[in-house]
Formats: sequence, C-alpha cells, structure tokens
Amino acid sequence: MSTKTNTIERHGNGSAKSSTLKEICARAITKSEWEDKEEFLDVIYWSRQVFGIILGVIWGIVPLKGFLGLVLFAGISCGIVYLYAINFQNVDEEAYGGVWELVKEGFMTSFAGFLVTWIIFYTGLHYDTIMAAKSS
Amino acid sequence: MWSDTILIVFISVCTAFLGEGLTWVLVYRTEKYQKLKTEVEKQSKKLERRKEIHGDSLDKAVKKKIERDEEKLKNNNRDLSLVKMKSMFATGFAFTALLSMFNSIFDGRVVAQLPFTPISWIQGLSHRNLAGEDYTDCSFIFLYILCTMSIRQNIQKMLGFAPSRAASKQGGGLFGAPPGQFK
Repeated sequence: MSTKTNTIERHGNGSAKSSTLKEICARAITKSEWEDKEEFLDVIYWSRQVFGIILGVIWGIVPLKGFLGLVLFAGISCGIVYLYAINFQNVDEEAYGGVWELVKEGFMTSFAGFLVTWIIFYTGLHYDTIMAAKSS
Repeated sequence: MWSDTILIVFISVCTAFLGEGLTWVLVYRTEKYQKLKTEVEKQSKKLERRKEIHGDSLDKAVKKKIERDEEKLKNNNRDLSLVKMKSMFATGFAFTALLSMFNSIFDGRVVAQLPFTPISWIQGLSHRNLAGEDYTDCSFIFLYILCTMSIRQNIQKMLGFAPSRAASKQGGGLFGAPPGQFK
C-alpha cells in the first residue's frame, strides 16, 4: 500500500514541477488529461481571478447597476467554470469531491476582485453622471 | 475620483506585502514551521488517498488506522496554528495601527460610488463614518477590505505561502472542524 502511495505522490510532484506555466496554459486551452488535480484546480483558480477582473471592468464601463450585476457575475462565473470543467475538459467531478468543489474554487477571491474593479471603473468613468443624477 | 480608489488599491497591495513579509520573517522561514508544514501536507495527502482507496471499507483495522492518522494530523495542524499565532498577533497590532491611521486620513470622505445598494448588515461597513442616508456612497474601509480580500490571498498563493488544498480540506487547524466530521 505504502509503495503505491509513494509512487503516486512522486509522480504527482514530478509532473507538477516539470510542467512550466506555458505548458499549463497550452493544456488549459485545449482538451487534455489532468493527472495532477492541484494543477487543474490552479488553472481554474487563476483563470477565475482574471475573468473576475475582466467582468468587473466590463460591468463598470457599461455600467451595470444593482443586484442584477452581482447575480449575473455569480451566474456567469459559476456557469463557465462548470461548462469548462465538465463539458470541455471532461474531468471526473467525483475525483475532485463533487461539482461544488470545482465551482467554489477561488470564487470568493474572484468575487472580491470583481467588486473592486466594478466599483473603481463605475466610479471613475461615470462620476459626473452619477452626481448629476443624485442632485436632480 | 480615480485617485482615491487607486490609492486604496495601492495601500492594500503594500499592506499585503508588508503582512506577508512580516509573517515570513516571524514564521515562514523558521525551520519549525517548514518541518511542520511539509509534515501536514504529506499526511493530508496520504490520508486523502487512503480514504479514497478504502472509501466505504468496513474493515476495522483500516478504520482504526485512518482514525489514528487523523488524530496525528489534527495534532500537527494544531502545532502549526500555534506557530502561526505569534505572527498573527504581531501583524494584528501593526495592522490595527495602520488601519486607524488610514481611517483618520479618509475620515468622512466618500471614496467611491457603489453601483449597487448593499444589504443592511453590510451598510454599517460600507457607510462607516459617512454623513447622509445615501447608501451607495462607499467608505474607505469597505473598499480596503474588498481589496485586501482579493489581493492578499492572491499574493499568498503566488508566493506559495497559502496552505495546500489537501491540508485545508483535511482540517482547518485550531478552529476548524475535526477531520472527517463531514464524511
């Protein structure tokens, strides 16, 4: 038993170290096998952060307002992660402890990042309009 | 209006690096922490794998072994939390001082406009020290907390200081639920 565990462990660590960022990115955008679970979760985590910031900028530029903006972000963010992991990469959700584990990976951090960029762009770009609407 | 918000983002990046730097000096570089961390990580992974393999096995010996491992992991996790505690106090003090300084600088100032009206129990934070009843006004502290939430965790992860997923899943240290409780 212990021999088996050690082999898997060494293999897992080895593959994590040998793959560079470039390789991981290349594997992330194509359909590939993910032997190292941590690596796949990292891909989800970081792409989610970037995605959250991009959505925040778009919401701020549009500008989207109110509860709708929050719900839309949560829906799109979780939906895309779900579709990406289950439909595109075809990973076995049970190996990760269920869909929920995948969907919530890095959600709060990306949500905070999204809120910050949304607030900053909304305030920066539309300050005069907001103030005019408030004073009228 | 850009200046205030960008300044707050900058402040939170600086404080995040400061916090991590302080923790590195006090905790991360110490031998004791590194030893404990590798130990916890190794044990968590081992335990997770063992649970996967023997999932619903009713074998008493296996169960006992898993329980013993969980107990060991719990003890190590507790030791790790105790080691971290020292720096938590130090950074806690430093941050309270810094925060009260920034709070007085931004006192009563609307730093941003929120594109949504926060729910009532967040309004106390987002409207702290601000005059008026307009809850889309955003106070310094709210934006700072949001920035810290995203920036500090990402910096931790980037620098490799964040606890591994296996370790945090198997038990959250002193205050976390005992491992295996939800299984």
